[in-house]
Amino acid sequence: MNAKILTFFIAMLGACLLFPQQAHVQGGEKSLTLAQAAMCEEIRDNAPYNLGVVFSMANEKVCCFTMFDPVPERTFIYHSWFRRDRLITSIKLSLEPPQWATVSRIQLREADKGPWRVEITDQTGRVFRTLRFSITD
Amino acid sequence: MDTLLSLFTSLRWQDIVDILLVSYIVFRLYILLRGTTVFHVLIGIALLWLSHRIALFLGLIVTSWAMQGIMAVTALIIIVVFRNEIRSVLQAKNARALLWGLARKESETPVDIIAESVYELARSHTGALIVLPGTDDVDEVIHSGIPWGGTVSKEMLLSIFWHDNPVHDGAAIIKGERVEEVGAILPLSHRKDLPSSYGTRHRAAAGLAEKTDALVVLVSEERGEVAVAQGSRVHTVKQRDHFMQILREHAEVPGQRKAYLKRQRLELGIAALASILFITGVWFSFARGWDTLTALEVPLGFINRNPGTEIVDTSANSAHLELSGSSTLIRSLRPEQVNVRIDLSKAGAGPNTVPITKESIALPPGISLKKVEPTAVTVTLDKVITKEVPVQVDWVGTLPEDLRLAEVRLEPEMVEVMGGEEVLESVSTIYTEPVPLDNLEPSGTITVRLALNPASLRIASGSKDKVTVEYVTKQRLH
Repeated sequence: MNAKILTFFIAMLGACLLFPQQAHVQGGEKSLTLAQAAMCEEIRDNAPYNLGVVFSMANEKVCCFTMFDPVPERTFIYHSWFRRDRLITSIKLSLEPPQWATVSRIQLREADKGPWRVEITDQTGRVFRTLRFSITD
Repeated sequence: MDTLLSLFTSLRWQDIVDILLVSYIVFRLYILLRGTTVFHVLIGIALLWLSHRIALFLGLIVTSWAMQGIMAVTALIIIVVFRNEIRSVLQAKNARALLWGLARKESETPVDIIAESVYELARSHTGALIVLPGTDDVDEVIHSGIPWGGTVSKEMLLSIFWHDNPVHDGAAIIKGERVEEVGAILPLSHRKDLPSSYGTRHRAAAGLAEKTDALVVLVSEERGEVAVAQGSRVHTVKQRDHFMQILREHAEVPGQRKAYLKRQRLELGIAALASILFITGVWFSFARGWDTLTALEVPLGFINRNPGTEIVDTSANSAHLELSGSSTLIRSLRPEQVNVRIDLSKAGAGPNTVPITKESIALPPGISLKKVEPTAVTVTLDKVITKEVPVQVDWVGTLPEDLRLAEVRLEPEMVEVMGGEEVLESVSTIYTEPVPLDNLEPSGTITVRLALNPASLRIASGSKDKVTVEYVTKQRLH
């Protein structure tokens, strides 16, 4: 009797270990996923151009490019721009299913030189990624 | 009264040593120089100095200036005029006598010299009258004595009673080893029972002996005999040894030496007390003028802070102190001798207002606090916590126009920092020191130090204060 119960539990444990993913996929929905994020000088052909971590004042602007795939439903995300831990601006951007690329940019001024970061967050404040860069001469 | 009390309570041990040491020097000078002319002149100078201080106190400018000049000149004159006397005093004393000994002003009566002189006078039929006072004061009954002041010697006694000496008819008064007076007129005895052979010299000797406890020695000019008058008795002394015995017994009259020692002790005690009082007065006059004020800006020190907290802000970093004391002490005051310590033993996280009291301020002895600004300081404490935060490179300068800094990797990417809870709440990134781009190699690795801001932050143990930056540059697209 005991041997039969033990065999049953081992069989159940093996089944759980072999088929966990299938069970999750079958039971859940696809979530909003950040596929690409980058700081760049400009956007050309819906793609970031001259990616980098340092941007010169001579460029006059800097862009934050993000692409979400998949986008399960129409929603919003935020690009929050910080200069030395001080929030400068928070830009609300809409996303449309099934995938969406969106961009925020700031115009550079002399006082903007220094280290920056952009936090990409959802409506609940969950941080997808933090991009760090510097504005220099 | 309060001022006087505060003066004494603020005395340092050095001040007491100072006063006692100088008082002892003055006392020793008195011991060495008493009875000399120099001593009297020194007393004069001390009085001049006192007058000078009084003149200064009253604001008599010219008078005080003149007193000062006179004192300086007098001090010089003493050294020049009395150099021989000073030298003899100092040369005659050994080191013990100079520093410690109490030389007796009076010495033993030279019995043998007196005896030898008296019997020599008797042999030569030279009349003489010598008074050896006891404990009674003979000055009240003796008149017209001429001050002599010489040390007793045979030659001196013989010369005093020499026929052609103008003072030979009077009596010589011997106190200790000195002939104090000569030519003294003694009161005559009116007794009826004295022998008819007694002349005026005998009656004078008997008269003084009746009135005082003095021993009077007389030498009869006619008979060449030595006689002694003591109390109501006048008797001839044939034997010199017997005579010396009488003199010795008189010199050791019970109470005479005791009275002398008592007088000596009293004199020395008064001298010692006067020295201390005088030097204390001089010391206060020099060292304790309360007219000197000074101001100091002293940094605040914070003590007894809970180790789990740190100071994030203070309403003041230093205190302005107004101090008073003698000009001598104020001049020698060093800033490091003054400390203001704020006790934070009862302070907790958040703002704490702590008063700056007299107990918070450490001053050297003799210096007193007049005013302190501010009277309280607000100290904001924060609980110390650790936090892991990302590191970011602070790039500065300019890259060549055709290049872009494409990728950067840091090792480590995060560091653990310690600091106040409130401070760390607003810190989300630790930046490096500025890294110049101008001379950057196309790609490579550099090590950069972290720049902690605010300065109260520190790297937690186990984390490094430097990061390795691996970077890649690429051609810029046009």
